Amino acid sequence: MFEVRFHGRGGQGAVMAAQTLAEAAVIEGNYAVAFPFFGAERRGAPVLAFTRIDNKKIYSKTQVYAPDCVVVLDDTLLDTIDVVAGLKPEGIVVINSKDKPEDIDLGKELRTGAINATSVALEILKAPITNTTILGAFAKATGIIKIESLEEAIKRRFGEKLGALVGERNALAARTAFEKTVIGKSKGIKKLEPRKQWLPTYQELPVGGALVEGKTDAGLIGPGSFIENKVMGWATFRPLRDKEKCTMCLLCWFYCPEGTIVRISDRGDLMTNYDYCKGCGVCANECPVDAIKMVRARV
Amino acid sequence: MITIKELSDDNLFTAGHTACPGCGVAMSIRNAIRVLGKDAAVYVPASCAVVFGTTFPYGAWKVPFFHTAFENTGACLTGMQAAFEKKGKQVISVGFAGDGGTYDIGLQSMSGAAERNEDVLYICLDNEAYMNTGIQRSGGTPFGAWTTTTPVGTKIQGNRRFKKNLGDIVAAHEIPYYATLSIGHPLDFIRKVEKAKNIRGFRFLHMFTPCIPGWKMDPAKTVEVTKRAVESGMWTLYEVENGEKKITYKPGKMKSVKDYLMMQGRFRHMSEEDIKKLQMWVCRKWNLHYKEKGAPQICEIAPPEEHHAVTEEHREMHGP
Amino acid sequence: MNPETSPNSPRTHQQPKKVITGDHAVAIGAKLCRVDVVPAYPITPQTLIIEHIADFVSDGELDAKFLTMESEHSVMSAAAAASASGARVFTATSSQGLAFMHEMLYATAPLRLPVVMANASRTLGGPPGIWCEYNDSMGARDSGWLQLYVEDNQEALDMVIQCFRIAEDKRVLLPVMPCLDGFVLTHTVEPVEVPEQEEVDLFLPAYIPDITLDPARPSMIGTFMPAEYIMELRRQTAGAMESAKKAIGEINDEFARRFGRNYGGLIDTYRMEDAEIALITMGTVTSTSRDVVDELRREGRKVGLVKLRFFRPFPSEELRKVLSGVSAVGVFDRSISFQGGGQSYNEVRSALFGMTIPIINHLAGLGGRDVTREQIMKMFEITLKAAKGEKVNLVNWHNTRGETL
Repeated sequence: MFEVRFHGRGGQGAVMAAQTLAEAAVIEGNYAVAFPFFGAERRGAPVLAFTRIDNKKIYSKTQVYAPDCVVVLDDTLLDTIDVVAGLKPEGIVVINSKDKPEDIDLGKELRTGAINATSVALEILKAPITNTTILGAFAKATGIIKIESLEEAIKRRFGEKLGALVGERNALAARTAFEKTVIGKSKGIKKLEPRKQWLPTYQELPVGGALVEGKTDAGLIGPGSFIENKVMGWATFRPLRDKEKCTMCLLCWFYCPEGTIVRISDRGDLMTNYDYCKGCGVCANECPVDAIKMVRARV
Repeated sequence: MITIKELSDDNLFTAGHTACPGCGVAMSIRNAIRVLGKDAAVYVPASCAVVFGTTFPYGAWKVPFFHTAFENTGACLTGMQAAFEKKGKQVISVGFAGDGGTYDIGLQSMSGAAERNEDVLYICLDNEAYMNTGIQRSGGTPFGAWTTTTPVGTKIQGNRRFKKNLGDIVAAHEIPYYATLSIGHPLDFIRKVEKAKNIRGFRFLHMFTPCIPGWKMDPAKTVEVTKRAVESGMWTLYEVENGEKKITYKPGKMKSVKDYLMMQGRFRHMSEEDIKKLQMWVCRKWNLHYKEKGAPQICEIAPPEEHHAVTEEHREMHGP
Repeated sequence: MNPETSPNSPRTHQQPKKVITGDHAVAIGAKLCRVDVVPAYPITPQTLIIEHIADFVSDGELDAKFLTMESEHSVMSAAAAASASGARVFTATSSQGLAFMHEMLYATAPLRLPVVMANASRTLGGPPGIWCEYNDSMGARDSGWLQLYVEDNQEALDMVIQCFRIAEDKRVLLPVMPCLDGFVLTHTVEPVEVPEQEEVDLFLPAYIPDITLDPARPSMIGTFMPAEYIMELRRQTAGAMESAKKAIGEINDEFARRFGRNYGGLIDTYRMEDAEIALITMGTVTSTSRDVVDELRREGRKVGLVKLRFFRPFPSEELRKVLSGVSAVGVFDRSISFQGGGQSYNEVRSALFGMTIPIINHLAGLGGRDVTREQIMKMFEITLKAAKGEKVNLVNWHNTRGETL
């Protein structure tokens, strides 16, 4: 049995990638299952999906804890999530990154296939949707599936839903990625502290789960505690405000759905707290004097 | 009247919530609660807002938050307010329900609370489909719109019914205050929330709240799309106070509905014929809202010729 | 308990008795508890309860918010919300109404909102009917609500008072549903002793919850809860239900001391001391069965009665103890679980697991069919046969055309 865990963000198509891989495996005469971690998926929020491949019927219905391969659709996830947790020692990482494997720090030295899937996708699909592109890299890095089978699976699944042309283009994206994937070994320097989580026993759990403002070893809980949730990783772009142009009309402050723009200096100036900016771009779009520009959040 | 500058800095719906980038609901909630202030207690029925506003043990609300089910916003507000009054507490009970939770499954509960003139504030965040379950049609979905239950097929394309006229239904309860709001019209928005805050009895604020994935649009355009909705007549800004209807913002020359539709993937499949049908519906609404009594029809976009004959659709839109 | 100390025997410090219906008794009970909020919706045979409460409120006898809701679903929604906002909440329902609010039962219990709601037991259609059957409340047995079945109007009144004590006990904090037989109690008048308000006030202190929807101390109640937490929440609710057993016993004893009426707690027994067989009953059938036991005793048959008062929490230990000496048990059920027998039967068999005595199910009175002395006599007869080792049906449909007993 070969088990794969996909890490992505809501809207990137991790679930579709997992399903397409399963279909490709079936095309090759194997048995495969693919399933999402059924979370409350929101655009930009981290999501998980899984694929299992075997040459006989698969009975296991649990999540994958010790994958043979981890696929990372978005390398910003590396900052907050230990994507290689549980990966088998001889396991493989397939990652969307502009860097070479040697420059990617996974906290462990692991066999790694790297592809700048975002740029391939932008070039071929004209959109930063990397789920088919990354599958090409997966085929190259793992060798457990033929690129032809993947192309076929992509055409079927995407073609069925979005039309033959879309299927063809996505297949081409996978093929292009297949050819461009660089295989090497990742760096193993950083130590990623697993995010602390408050896990009370049933006796410690407040009665009925009712919470007031509180603090635990893992941080704040209760009303207002979502500020513990830094969402900067969701952002592809972030706003830059030109103070000279700004007239302090406060429209950006009013519109920001996150509350990430705050008034400072006794309300005479604004500051953007990028920890909570998801990069929607509403502020820039609405600024009446064009004082806000959206720039790439990471270069 | 409060201006934007005078709004409180209090973040009663904190950052770090998990709404999608550019979420019109998050934007509306944040500003509504900013105006309503700390002495509010909030009920949120099943919706995105439950999930992105609270995920145990975290929460974005800094005012009391309660949730139990989907169809019971009116009833829960009733119960909360009764308890507060009995205990002698001055609290504004506020509900934030979606269009599904108001137009459809929650209509009865809302109607009950409205009819009893409960002293509560009911806010409907109308994003025109069941977004939390992944974009299914509701009674608030406009004509032509793609949703996963009104797909664009070879035989049937998009939603075939016109958006339910919730405003008239709510206003027919003869409540003290009903108003429509758009986040793209901040002063109107603030004024109406403030007004609703200070009126006693059942108040209903109907907020037009774009949904980025559901409307298939650029997250930066949330505000812009609400402006276009208003300029085209797809959304109208008015209030009904003690039975008296008042237009609070009248657009200049009517913009074609097509400008509004083309910003959103959910309408992009629409045929010229369907666009004309929708345009006719908008025209009728436009005249209903903006035309002075006795004045000639001011909608300048002529209905398509093929629809001059009385067809089934014609009846649907205009009555027999 | 022997006949001399049963709830029906004369008391020393008696209040003047009122001749009232079960519904009226329940309403008076709620009034004595000084309930804050009463969301209401009519349904036969419960309607008299809310009508009486409406009268109390309108006449200024009860200072409560009486909410005329537009459905039972809204009743339980308003009840949950008012309770979460710190109010003591009472309401009543029946049958279809209970079914309609089913979803909200599942909100109140795990959120630990101690609402008390009387259920006038009535058949749940279809086909529609308005008479006594337990298939309405039995469908709610896994919702986390405590459930009990009363025998007469006095118990109905007294238990409303006890229910609030139990529900609001910090060890419990769960909603409670006292069930009274539709028409057989709801619309039957009998003498009821009404406790003094001052005595009830001493017995039942004000409800002061730890966390409410209070802007002065913001809270989150009913948040979206991932799998990392829900299992512990379920365990916690299960623990509260278990703790309720002790609380019920203690509160019963305190009530008995203060008011002179002892209902026995989770179960009550009648002439069980040297009984060779026992019949387990619920609700008003218990009452008639007391007479039947007396009659059989006069004939020299050693039979006894166990009144299953609380169905949730289910008194497994108590039943094992009280039934340890008998050689067969009959179990009366007024509803069918469509897998053979009734719900009590299944629960009793589960409770007595490991005991080798025959356990015989007696289904009777479904849809409100009258359960007569003759039928109860038959229940004892069949159970006696089983005790002697004779072959009998495990599940017996009494007074059912086409069925042979």
